[in-house]
Amino acid sequence: MTCEEFERVLPELEGGHSIEQEAHLKSCSACSDLVRDLNAISQQARHLQGSEEPSPWVWNSIEVSLRQEGLISQPQPERARTLAPLLGWKLRWMVPLAAAFLIVFGVLLHERGGVQRDLAKQTTPPAGVVTADLVTSQEDEQLLNTVAARTPSMRDAYEANLRSVNAYIRDAKQSADSNPNDEIAQQYLMNAYEQKAMVYEMALDRSLP
Amino acid sequence: MTDAKKQQGDRLSEATLIERAKQGDAQAFEALYNLHKRRVYSLCLRMTANTAAAEDLTQEAFLQLFRKIGTFRGESAFSTWLHRMAVNVVLMQLRKKGLPVVPLEDTMESEEEAPRKEPGADDPRLAGSIDRLQLQQSIAALPPGYRMIFLLHDVEGYEHNEIAEMVGCSIGNSKSQLHKARMKLRELLKTSRAEKATKP
Repeated sequence: MTCEEFERVLPELEGGHSIEQEAHLKSCSACSDLVRDLNAISQQARHLQGSEEPSPWVWNSIEVSLRQEGLISQPQPERARTLAPLLGWKLRWMVPLAAAFLIVFGVLLHERGGVQRDLAKQTTPPAGVVTADLVTSQEDEQLLNTVAARTPSMRDAYEANLRSVNAYIRDAKQSADSNPNDEIAQQYLMNAYEQKAMVYEMALDRSLP
Repeated sequence: MTDAKKQQGDRLSEATLIERAKQGDAQAFEALYNLHKRRVYSLCLRMTANTAAAEDLTQEAFLQLFRKIGTFRGESAFSTWLHRMAVNVVLMQLRKKGLPVVPLEDTMESEEEAPRKEPGADDPRLAGSIDRLQLQQSIAALPPGYRMIFLLHDVEGYEHNEIAEMVGCSIGNSKSQLHKARMKLRELLKTSRAEKATKP
């Protein structure tokens, strides 16, 4: 067997060689070096599997889209009764806290854009007060303009994400307002604010030069 | 997601998660995502060499999968189905950008892409001394067609019949492209090593 004949059948050889091929490898250092190198490349490549992890932003965007498309259903009332004792009072102050994060991002956004606003003077609203309105579509426009100024290709993606997460906040707020004692509804509203805060965080972080 | 939630998701079988996801269970969707996110993202990242693009493609692949999860019947493995989505999403993106995705059935290579045969002089061996970073850089330098087959087979561990089903080529072509990819990588790694050796 010649080297040329051996290399012709090499793509088909996985897991074993014929007697003739083994004999050629024993007698030809070039072909045996070639096989050894190709095997080493293949073995080292396996260590690269799943070695990278996407940012949390990816799942949040997926979840927002799934909720928007109705592919994720709301939990049953029985689950709410089960979870309510566990969630308890914590949610009462975490909802306005999540909204406060949005206010902070709104302040950062205006400072970066050079626009003077009095958002910093706003106090943390009491529990139950409508908070989604504190970060309005004006702030969203500001954010999108900042993103567009620095990374134009990302504007559309963030606009779609903001649209989805605002719809999520609207639905969650409606539910929380209708059921002020429903801990699950409060949890969903908090999740919605957290997701919007994350969108702001990612947008401002990614738009930095 | 909290650690407690992640552990809970891992304990449930994938089949159970799929059934619960079909019913709209948010935790099931999240658990399925966490089970497969690394492999899908790594594949997208190695094909695009751009973290933002890879995250967008990862998101798109999972969304397409989750939208169709109601139609999953279990004829193939869930991970194969997911990777097929990811491969399609990546290939569509590359074509949209006008990048030269080498047709997998095309055996005509440009002179630049074909692995060179070097008769005569001694070749330094690679075995036992392949640097992982150099390998990653060399993979990134492969033509997209070779890169896809190499990633699916040698990195992700798919068999040629699975790869053929995923990318729409023959098993023979998958083997041929893999061999060419490995030969090209061998050449790139040797060049990289030679360049390093000559640097002061």
